[in-house]
Amino acid sequence: MSGPLPRPLPRPLPHDALTLDAIRTCLEGVIPGTIATADAVGTPNVSQLSQVHYVDPGHIALSYQFFNKTRANILANPDAQLEVIDPATGAQYRLRLAYLRTETEGPLFESMKAKLSGIASHVGMAEVFRLRGADLFRVVAIEAVPGGAPLPAPVRPRSLLSAVRRACEGLRGAADLSDLLDRAVAALRDLFGVEHALILLPDAASGRLFTVAALGYEASGRGSGIGWEVAPGDGVIGVAARERVPIRITHMTTDVAYSMAMREGTAAGIAHEIPFPGLDRPHSQLAVPILASSGACGDLAGVLFVESAQEMRFTYDDEDALATLAAQLGALMRGLPPAHGAEAEEMPAPAVAPPAVGTPITVRHYAGDDSVFLDHDYLIKGVAGAILWKLVRDHTALGRTDFTNRELRLAPDIPLPDFAENLEARLILLQRRLADRCGCLRIEKTGRGRFRLLVEKPLRLEEMQ
Amino acid sequence: MRRERGLDETVRRFLDRSLSVNVATSDHDGRPLVARAVAARVSPGISPDGERLTVLIDGRANAVLVAAVAATGRLAVVFTEPSTHRSIQIKDDGATVAAPTVDESALPGPYIDGFIAELAGMGFTEAFVRAVMAFDPADLVALHLEPADVFDQTPGPRAGERIPA
Repeated sequence: MSGPLPRPLPRPLPHDALTLDAIRTCLEGVIPGTIATADAVGTPNVSQLSQVHYVDPGHIALSYQFFNKTRANILANPDAQLEVIDPATGAQYRLRLAYLRTETEGPLFESMKAKLSGIASHVGMAEVFRLRGADLFRVVAIEAVPGGAPLPAPVRPRSLLSAVRRACEGLRGAADLSDLLDRAVAALRDLFGVEHALILLPDAASGRLFTVAALGYEASGRGSGIGWEVAPGDGVIGVAARERVPIRITHMTTDVAYSMAMREGTAAGIAHEIPFPGLDRPHSQLAVPILASSGACGDLAGVLFVESAQEMRFTYDDEDALATLAAQLGALMRGLPPAHGAEAEEMPAPAVAPPAVGTPITVRHYAGDDSVFLDHDYLIKGVAGAILWKLVRDHTALGRTDFTNRELRLAPDIPLPDFAENLEARLILLQRRLADRCGCLRIEKTGRGRFRLLVEKPLRLEEMQ
Repeated sequence: MRRERGLDETVRRFLDRSLSVNVATSDHDGRPLVARAVAARVSPGISPDGERLTVLIDGRANAVLVAAVAATGRLAVVFTEPSTHRSIQIKDDGATVAAPTVDESALPGPYIDGFIAELAGMGFTEAFVRAVMAFDPADLVALHLEPADVFDQTPGPRAGERIPA
């Protein structure tokens, strides 16, 4: 937040007073809120709000995109009243608000901007969604409207608090990064009931993110998800990565309809949808940055991404739960024993793999971008491609099958940035891509910092310039 | 604020359907108050070329707002079509509060039915819409105003522009 906040000591509320946290499902954007303001002479104005941003238990913020009557009024008279509806029960609440200030930088502004760009990048609307400021309000009082006939609150299928606890317990004791990622995905599936998830790690050099763990994309027709890439700032994953804030979209159809209504009032060009890894028609998405303290990509260690074909699948509570899980994941990633720290100089027992027989596989390498094709099918590129090319060359020329991370790090023909985690991540990517695509060429871990290339068919290498 | 009366034909057509209707007023201290209405109707007004707008509201759930309208006459009503976000705001500073006539008491039934049909396409169930709109008929209050000012309130850069009569 910009500048010191002269905040009076909060008056203690009665223990049973309604808190903003208890009703924040009303701020999900499923049903627009309605705000009443008044100008200096008391003329009222009433306006619907597509997004009311939850800030903390005592504050909300509204996006300032256009200078409208609501905004003119709060500058003249900071008093406002907001009515919101619980999208599950229909219960209605009125919030007495006091406008504090408008922020044009800092975490609140960035997080609201990120959410707007996250929506906009799906429909080519980035220009229309320019955020001028975040109008911050103190929540003075919350009142349940004594009207309507609210439905009973639906029973949630699981306890998120329990899921977080068990997921964090399950991550402990992971042997290495690959194991840790697998445990995280298993926790999302088994404890959170998540059907589609990706864990992406950053490429130190390009800033792009690549998927190293995936859940539930086998039916996508575009592979398992391993190896999918996202540019920084692209979609909810890219924005979460760039801005280092969770980005959550709960009701894709509403968000898109709102953007279309806004676009009709502008000279924005043709809306073109940017292709995005993941489901073709997601209705809920949540991307949570995994933060670490060091690294060539600033403090970003990765992104945890979940999505669903169901609307409103991920709530504020899900965001809190997965942010807690991501924090634990980040801390554990930092604490993993470095893969090179205990690299043994001695080699493991020689492989007893049967000799490679059958129709040879053609491994083609393009030096320009280190892309590698197996029998004309694209497999991988970049650092992971360079690694694979070195492995198959050493295998065919020298008969080698056992390798160490250390020698890869020292190999002059592998353009590895000076970033230890990156090699580990690249090896995980390579191993999983090979497992996805071709059972007859695989990588198997044989110990800390050691692995083996398993070759079941003869290899024919082709180097292309 | 009293100006030439009469609603633009496009506005009149827009209002001739079930919409999301929300109202605001302010009390003598200028404190704004907001409420959701359950029905609205445009009818011929007192002046030959003018209209009267009637908004029906749960007077028990919104007792403070109703008292403020009665005291100050200030009223702003926003009509929104949920599927398009298209919105019109109408204001008057001479609004009045009255018990609904038999005719007016019959408005919410079909109005809410139409609203349910509008929201069904957006995934909201009838049970949900009825839960939000439910009221005891004995609590119904009518707010009357003569549209003095009409504004385009559709979100976007033109929100707040006055629509000439």
